[in-house]
Amino acid sequence: MHKVIFDTSLRPTRRSILMGAAAAAGAGMMLPGGAFAQEATPQRGGTLRVSMPYNPASLDPITGRNLPDFNTLYALYDALIGFDDETLELQPMLAKSWDWADPSTLVLDLQDGVMFHDDTPFNAEAVVFNLRRGLDYARSNVKSDLAGVQEIEATGPLQVTIRLEAPNAALPAILSNRAGCMVSPASVQAAEDGNIDRAPVGAGPFRFIEWRDNDLIRLERNESYWQGPELPYLDGLELRIINELNTAARTVTSGQADVALQLAAQQIMVARRSDNIIATATTSMTYYTAFFNYARGPLADLKVRQAMNYALNRADLQQVLLMGLGEATCSVFPREFWASGPDAADYYPYDPERARALLAEAGYPDGVEIATLSWPDQAAMQRTEIIGNQLAQVGIRLNVTPVQPAQAIQVFMIDQQGDMLLSPTGGNPDPSLAFDRQFSATALRNAGKIELDGYRELLEATMSTYDFDERQQKLFELEMFVVENALHLPQYMSAGMSIQTPQVKDFTFGILAAPRFHTVWLDQA
Amino acid sequence: MHGVGKMVLRRLAQLIPVMIIATFVVFALVFLMPGDPAVTLAGEFATEARINEIRALYGFDQPFWVQYGHWLWNALHFDLGRSLFSNEEVSRLISMRLPHTLLLVFYALFLGAITGIPLGILAATRQGTRLDKAITSLASLGVAVPNFWLGIILVSALALDWRLFPATGAVSIFEDPLGAIYYATLPALALSTNVTAVLTRQVRSALLEVLSSQFIRTLRAKGLRPAAVLWRHGLRNVAATMLTIAGLQFNLLFSSAVIVESVFAVPGVGSLISYSALNKDFPVVQGVALVLVVLVIFVNLLVDVLNSILDPRVAAST
Repeated sequence: MHKVIFDTSLRPTRRSILMGAAAAAGAGMMLPGGAFAQEATPQRGGTLRVSMPYNPASLDPITGRNLPDFNTLYALYDALIGFDDETLELQPMLAKSWDWADPSTLVLDLQDGVMFHDDTPFNAEAVVFNLRRGLDYARSNVKSDLAGVQEIEATGPLQVTIRLEAPNAALPAILSNRAGCMVSPASVQAAEDGNIDRAPVGAGPFRFIEWRDNDLIRLERNESYWQGPELPYLDGLELRIINELNTAARTVTSGQADVALQLAAQQIMVARRSDNIIATATTSMTYYTAFFNYARGPLADLKVRQAMNYALNRADLQQVLLMGLGEATCSVFPREFWASGPDAADYYPYDPERARALLAEAGYPDGVEIATLSWPDQAAMQRTEIIGNQLAQVGIRLNVTPVQPAQAIQVFMIDQQGDMLLSPTGGNPDPSLAFDRQFSATALRNAGKIELDGYRELLEATMSTYDFDERQQKLFELEMFVVENALHLPQYMSAGMSIQTPQVKDFTFGILAAPRFHTVWLDQA
Repeated sequence: MHGVGKMVLRRLAQLIPVMIIATFVVFALVFLMPGDPAVTLAGEFATEARINEIRALYGFDQPFWVQYGHWLWNALHFDLGRSLFSNEEVSRLISMRLPHTLLLVFYALFLGAITGIPLGILAATRQGTRLDKAITSLASLGVAVPNFWLGIILVSALALDWRLFPATGAVSIFEDPLGAIYYATLPALALSTNVTAVLTRQVRSALLEVLSSQFIRTLRAKGLRPAAVLWRHGLRNVAATMLTIAGLQFNLLFSSAVIVESVFAVPGVGSLISYSALNKDFPVVQGVALVLVVLVIFVNLLVDVLNSILDPRVAAST
């Protein structure tokens, strides 16, 4: 039996995305669920063997930096606020409820009786310690996430009040991410220089045993997990780090692993040929685009940017490059995601005639050359070649320089060389952040460091609107602003790709590719 | 042995300047590589201000000489530092990974030797026959076949189809020696083909040269049995060639291990150095380079010592 699933049910079922209306106790919604919910009763026991291609940057949530770190982080740490794997709908976690006392004051009420892995209590003091550490620790990578926080106060043994300099509706989502992952204060105080990169102590479903760098991470069941005593079902997790994707996939086909994460379309297609492997491609918040420097050069002209968008045949691109497992789009979100409006995804149909006309109107009747940066790996070069070929049909010639990813950031975003950079991006916990981190003048990805008139007002409106329907409308408007002004060249949404054996039950990779393992179980029959 | 002792002392005296020059060159090359570790360290959604903060925090804004001098000073105090990216101690990283790579390299060398030397002897003693031609052709093929390709074929056939060996992974030789050898068999087999091929060719040509030399002809004329000529006189004279080739192959196997370790997901130093170099993880690259330089120097020294025992003229000339 094989199964390839592209899940598009991304609408929240409740309107509690922003407000802490979720006063319901956490335990109820933590029951097993997800795309692969099984009718069978979950079984306790067994160690899940996971293959993943990336060594975590750190197991300290605030000093780590890469999205794949979350393969491990949510097993070790519970965050203040949880989220639905498929919709990003916010849910209670270590904070059983939250409420905006006013637009700049967030009050969190915490779960009682939660203990960290080192048997120290989780309480308001621990939350204050963690949030302060996120702001003050020299190695913290979440300082910008918490930048608007003015004061953090324990207003009760199990209550924390956060005061902001300005309204920020994205804060609860931020607290579901790195900044909200709660670390044992005692473990930080005991560590040399407060460095717990390799000695993580959280309140999550699994405790840390060992991390052999770029080889293996072993975790064991947290016997006193606050959502227990049944959860987590597994006795432990063994996460093997295998950088080469084909090799990682082979660990599952050879029976050496139960799940392989973050694979590519090629491995999914190969796995489909196997009868006893389940290959899954789920909707992802990661997407492929080209960042523009629209402060100067040909891309300062709206008509050139629009011409490029009309010249792309996105459906063909995703069919060829992602083997149909993704989703062609002009937006930054999957089309079924709640913050994606009805008109954005298909705003630029493939229309080479219109692209040529726009180029001519912009003063480039004979075409235009775009200095382009692209990653040097085989898949990126293939993508660049096909995109270059499509654009060349209307007279847009890409002058491509291959650069390593870290170098690309330096060259394009900091040194401001080149007109555009082809790159995947995304994976933000909140839609406002997705725009802020790409199009604000302070964003590294905005190479030109300018904002078009009207952008700031729309962004701030999404940050200061707390009613779900109103905020959704504001986000639609912001999305359309970005699309109409062709601030980048989106191509297609990626997919979260994984393969697993049929014995693995209730595993979902999730829209953020940040899996939680507390409800996963192994059918040992 | 007096000559051998002097040679060993001379070589050991060369060790420190060679290590300094080698680590300096590696540091300079990594330093000159495009890219900025601060950008990687800052994370996917960093601001420019945060990147500058990290540059200052880790000392990346210091001049090249200051950074290298700092590393060298610590290394001289047996402190190889910590990985910039995973914060793991470099000495611990190397001590965990080197045994895996050494096992692969020695295992491949062993497999290469037990196949390459007999094949070379067989080809030389049957010169011009079909067997000789077949062995020579196979040896040429062995040199040409890429290790990683062979590795994938071996995995497909012996691991996935027949399930004789594990497809990936490694076991610590200190915890489970037999398990470690079992896990290392396929990658060592993939690595050993080049060793087999090179040894076959070299042993064949060296033995042919010896067997056609004046003193062998004299021994034959004296009525010595062909087997005795071959084993007592012929092979003794090609032993030095075999040792030299084995030493060279040992060094080359470390570079081949980079790719083979990746195909078989073996957590060795090959994958460590390639991953670290790409990320400009200076302390790890420097630490691994230092250890590899020491290893190569000691292996070369060992080969020279053994050669000089086999042929005392070697000690006098080196």
